[in-house]
Amino acid sequence: MGEVKTSMVGRAFLLLIVMAGSVSDHSMAQTSLTTESRFEQRRQRLIDVVSQERDRGFFTVAAKLSAGRDKDFALAMLDSLTTDESIGGMFYAYSAIGTYLRLWNQLPDSLVRKLRQAYRERTMYRGDTENHWVAYYTGLYLAAQTWPNEDRSQWFNGKSSMENFKESEEWLNRWMSTTATIGQGEFDSPTYFIVFMTPMLTLFDFAKDPVMKRKAQMTADLLFADFAAEHLNGNYCGGHSRDYPDDIVNPLSAPAALWAWLYFGEPNMELWQESRYRPRYRGGWETVFGAMSSYRLPDVIHTMATDRSKAYVHTETKRTRNVIRFGQEKNPPVYKYTYMTHDYALGSLQGGILQPIQQHTWDVTYRSDKPNNTIFTLHPFYSGRELAMFFPEEQKFLADEVDRYHLVYTDPNKWNSSSPYEQTFQHKNAIIVLYSIDKNANHQHIDGFFPKNLDERIEHSSGWIFCRAGSVYVAFFPLRPYQWIEEKVDWRWRSTALKNGIVLEVGSSDEDGTFEAFRNHVMQSKPAMNSSGNDLIVNYETRRGDVMKFTFDGKRRLNGKAIDFKTYKFFNGPFIQSERGSGIIRMTDGKKVRELNFKKATIKEWQRSQN
Amino acid sequence: MAAITKLVLVAALVLLAGMPSAAFQQEHQEKDQGKNYYAVVFLNRGSLTGGTQRNVGLFKRPLGDTIWTNIYGRNLLSFGLGIWEGKSSRRHYMAVGNGLHQSVDGTKSWRILTDWHTEEILSVAPDPIDSAVIYVSTPFGVFKSIDEGRHWEKKMSGMKKWFVKKVVIDVNNRQKLFAVAEEDVYRSTDSGEHWEPLHAGLTDVQSFAQDPAFPQHLLTGGEDNGIRLSLDGGGTWQAARGVPKASFYAIAISPDGHTAYAGGFKTGLWTSTDDGVSWKLLWQNPDIEAISTIYVHKNDSSHLMIGTSGQGIYESLDAGKTWRSAGLQGCQVRQIELYP
Repeated sequence: MGEVKTSMVGRAFLLLIVMAGSVSDHSMAQTSLTTESRFEQRRQRLIDVVSQERDRGFFTVAAKLSAGRDKDFALAMLDSLTTDESIGGMFYAYSAIGTYLRLWNQLPDSLVRKLRQAYRERTMYRGDTENHWVAYYTGLYLAAQTWPNEDRSQWFNGKSSMENFKESEEWLNRWMSTTATIGQGEFDSPTYFIVFMTPMLTLFDFAKDPVMKRKAQMTADLLFADFAAEHLNGNYCGGHSRDYPDDIVNPLSAPAALWAWLYFGEPNMELWQESRYRPRYRGGWETVFGAMSSYRLPDVIHTMATDRSKAYVHTETKRTRNVIRFGQEKNPPVYKYTYMTHDYALGSLQGGILQPIQQHTWDVTYRSDKPNNTIFTLHPFYSGRELAMFFPEEQKFLADEVDRYHLVYTDPNKWNSSSPYEQTFQHKNAIIVLYSIDKNANHQHIDGFFPKNLDERIEHSSGWIFCRAGSVYVAFFPLRPYQWIEEKVDWRWRSTALKNGIVLEVGSSDEDGTFEAFRNHVMQSKPAMNSSGNDLIVNYETRRGDVMKFTFDGKRRLNGKAIDFKTYKFFNGPFIQSERGSGIIRMTDGKKVRELNFKKATIKEWQRSQN
Repeated sequence: MAAITKLVLVAALVLLAGMPSAAFQQEHQEKDQGKNYYAVVFLNRGSLTGGTQRNVGLFKRPLGDTIWTNIYGRNLLSFGLGIWEGKSSRRHYMAVGNGLHQSVDGTKSWRILTDWHTEEILSVAPDPIDSAVIYVSTPFGVFKSIDEGRHWEKKMSGMKKWFVKKVVIDVNNRQKLFAVAEEDVYRSTDSGEHWEPLHAGLTDVQSFAQDPAFPQHLLTGGEDNGIRLSLDGGGTWQAARGVPKASFYAIAISPDGHTAYAGGFKTGLWTSTDDGVSWKLLWQNPDIEAISTIYVHKNDSSHLMIGTSGQGIYESLDAGKTWRSAGLQGCQVRQIELYP
């Protein structure tokens, strides 16, 4: 234990020296002692908790050896991980080398040989998603760096150390550049956030090339900042790709929430202690690599994640994952809009198929000490053609195959879905969501999630449904008749009209005073819908007096002016700014500015007044 | 140790299920003695990419034997197999999700020839003469190597879309290629440098076959589009008669050119004996969801094997009159071949 701590402190000191070459002097004083010491407590606590885990995994081994707990058991576990031929693949590729590089000085020679053997004989499949490739190439890069100058016979893929290193370096550089200019395809995933973050921190800790090390640090900064801008008390708010139903209806159960706890210090509870919030093992304990990393979150990003003193609008541009069929371009843009306050966030994607299987298009998520703190709607769409846009297999049995993996893909009651029949128009804390469902679509209804633990849910004769969760107020206007279906944790709102939609406004006691005042204010306006012929048009004046006119497959007009998504920046908000394609991301907490320049691989920080 | 034992047990159960009867096995021809069947498996039902994979990759079953044995790529989601036959050597190629794999020592050892640029390899077509020339199809086009896989160049001139499911070399002219692309069948007459659409009349092409005996006869199948045929090398096309407007994922023609077979999603196996002009249903098994590949024995047209989307392999020795399950239950089989 003592040795490990000394080693880590030494590494952190060394890191500071290395960073001094690339970061301006101001950055040295970026982290306050209080924030740092609290982080130190949390990371030690997490290592301690994970070190008590009994389930087999590299993260358990790493935590046990790091904490000095159950060493013999941990080594036996590692031995079985190196000899069990039934496991392998891209996750193995980076977690095995990550464990080795962190703890090689505690491993007997026999285990070191077995770990090396794994990269010689085991088939490490690269996978078919962005997170798979990040995991695979990070693992291969570090393994080739660790065992250089070995010939083709010494590697599972028949390539030499030099060939593997070059290929990995090339792809990682390309991915980092893409991520910093047009965004991720698997963007803002509350689950797969960890599979991008853990490899980047491992790369940051162990890449010998100072440029790769710095770029890994910059990418970690970028991913954290991306999360921070849409973060509220541990919740990753708004629209997402690759989101799982359990996490959608209970946002703090997502693995990313544990990273928020570790790095942002929110929520102020140990998530694993609460069964209702318990992060699933899938991914949750990977956070221990973060706890063991020498990476430290810049103060600016910590403030981005936690300062909710002023409400703000934050927009982003992302991209779809690779469209291989039935598209006009490989990575069409995704436009995100989030309105963040101290008490809630309303966020959305523009709608349509932006991600197969696991899209979460919009929601309102609010600060609460209760689970299921979210409200949203969706159309439960599925089709083989959608899957065939992104996967090379035949579309007729793709849906069936994906249903086997993700269990709910064809389920009419599923809580995650992209749909070509869904579009959104958001302005601050108001949103219009329209559905124009094809009469041949597999499921012809839309669903809404309303948690049962809302303090109030009132159906008013005006057509508005009003909800209160603590100090957060929601006004929900269905454009068509609906029914309620009682479920375990929620009331499922369901409407079966093919031309359909909802209007929603969110408020709070800070913004609106009492719930009654909010209701009265909202009821002064009523959405007007025209759905004659092929048209589906809604006009609505928000309680703030903004007029929104939304035509499905047509214009989104705010106070008469058409919204042009092409004007969206890569990031645009009070905390973070970037032009799409520039590779330059500038973040600020109001006092300091931190600039990541991916084209030059540089990090700069300065006081805002000096700019 | 316990985990390994369990794995072996599970694998054995999977592989032995549907084993053909002893009488059935005795019918193999003497001329094929010493040869092996190879099956390329893409998926196992219930497996998850990134998770543990069992029984995918390349399988071998010696002629007369009953058990398929995984010989490579337990963890490799595999689309296809290609063989280059030299006078004294043979090269095996596997089209796999993580690249093109090559073995030059009879499948004992393998290496990956491609890198991240080519992404998933959906099919491979080694030039039959020049071992340095290899074509692969990918979700982002056709790639060609002229130095045995050291370098690759994308060859898409003339193509409108980028997805290419399969690249096929003409049976008589190795400079002529066919590409099963997203929206059409394309043809190149200059070794892939330029491509022209054949206007086959399908919107989502899924399968293609060239008659080995009469190369001007081409067949193609599409998603929800039935089968179309050309009798003039792709100049003109017509809809096949008798088949439903279903999704045909596999088409094969017997080496003598007399019989064509086609199958797809919930179609059963169809056959034609008039160059694909008219078709009739040969066999249907409600247990089979989709037929993903069809193999016709090179020396015995009555010996058929089909690979399915998740029910393994079925085999017939009497031109499709009777069928037996032939192993790899639970596997999605993409290609079946018989080689020495």
